[in-house]
Amino acid sequence: MSLFGKKERLIVIDGLWNKNPISFLVMGICSALAVTVKMQTALIMALGTTFVLSFGCMAVALIRNYIPSNIRIIVQILVVSVLVIMVDQVLRAFFFDLSKQISVFIGLIITNTLVLGRTEGYAMNNPPWPSFLDGLGNALGYSSFLLMISALREIFGSGTFFGFPVVPHFFYQAGYINNSIMVLAPGAFFLLGALVCIHRMITGHREEH
Amino acid sequence: MVNKESRLYPFIFAFIICSIASFMLASLSLKLKARQEMNVTLDVKRHIFDVLKLTPPLPKDVLPELALKIFNEKIEQVVLDASGNIVPGKKHEDIKEGEALYPLFIYREGGKVQGYCFPIKGKGLWSMLYGYLAIQPDGKTVRGISFYKQGETPGLGSEVESLGFQQNFEGKKIWDDALSQVEPVVVAKGKVSDRIPKEKWPYYVDGISGATMTGKGVTALLDHWIRVYEPFFQKQH
Repeated sequence: MSLFGKKERLIVIDGLWNKNPISFLVMGICSALAVTVKMQTALIMALGTTFVLSFGCMAVALIRNYIPSNIRIIVQILVVSVLVIMVDQVLRAFFFDLSKQISVFIGLIITNTLVLGRTEGYAMNNPPWPSFLDGLGNALGYSSFLLMISALREIFGSGTFFGFPVVPHFFYQAGYINNSIMVLAPGAFFLLGALVCIHRMITGHREEH
Repeated sequence: MVNKESRLYPFIFAFIICSIASFMLASLSLKLKARQEMNVTLDVKRHIFDVLKLTPPLPKDVLPELALKIFNEKIEQVVLDASGNIVPGKKHEDIKEGEALYPLFIYREGGKVQGYCFPIKGKGLWSMLYGYLAIQPDGKTVRGISFYKQGETPGLGSEVESLGFQQNFEGKKIWDDALSQVEPVVVAKGKVSDRIPKEKWPYYVDGISGATMTGKGVTALLDHWIRVYEPFFQKQH
């Protein structure tokens, strides 16, 4: 078994595209709606989730044979919470201004269904390395949706990208106004639905009943 | 290997994993604590720098150690009693809850006083507002104001934190020279130029539309704190 052979690559690609958690599993929707008004918060959320999910899956996989099955969910949440608190503490120490804005969202990673979904659904039954890759792939798949939604929402809702104005001034003079629905929750719902639809049209995925 | 089927096993496992987790988090928190606390103190000092309009302004990415050094060099912390006299030998940390002693920051540049600053707090509509007010060396003019913590209605009352609202205060008077009495700044309901007679303009700032109650709170807390510090500022006239 190689460290990064065909099988391992497939695990990552599955999470990123073939079985994208947001589009395919419809997981982690709440945070995809909550933190996507601005690129900056979405990016931090994406980085935080990627770290927590990949290492959380690996840690759960490492101890999977010792976890008593009747308390396994609690143990998984414990592992995830430890990682989330670590991220929060490090942000507080080294990126104080950022942490003042987003520490509320960082705490939300614990409740992200995606995290528990992957630790319970994959890491409990697989060795550490594939579990790490599975977590990484899913986190990247989740992040890509997050970043796409927030890019569209910020550009059309606030006329900025990472806080920099991108809509030219003469647009506004010609009567263009920012679409405020993009800043509100419905904008995120519409975009999310549209992106899931496009993704499913390309991959040909259908829900089975 | 322990028996996984045993009833005791989940308890033992939970105990061990919780101990490991607590140990990891406790050691991380211990390692980072100094830095985090420094960040919090620095955050407070940054607000004081901002409201005092430090010249030249502090660079945005200044090192924490340097910012603290500048603070200690340029800004003196003194304690005032109720009649506006400086209490010698007292520090801000020495002030106890309920004591009639008040903290004051004095900003000096090359030995010359550039401004004074003191903390203000009071009730808005929903929440306590916390901030700082800075006064010019003449003891009659507002140098700046800043609110750094509030829980008012987002988009309405929360605008007290906005630069636009705070800039309105610069240059306003807290002392009426003609009557020779204290005249705290008042937040008007709406635009000052529409509602207030011209001779009163130096004592009024524009209100925030949709946030009349928050404005009243700001007026009340300014009235309270300006009167508290007035004895000291009268000595500076």
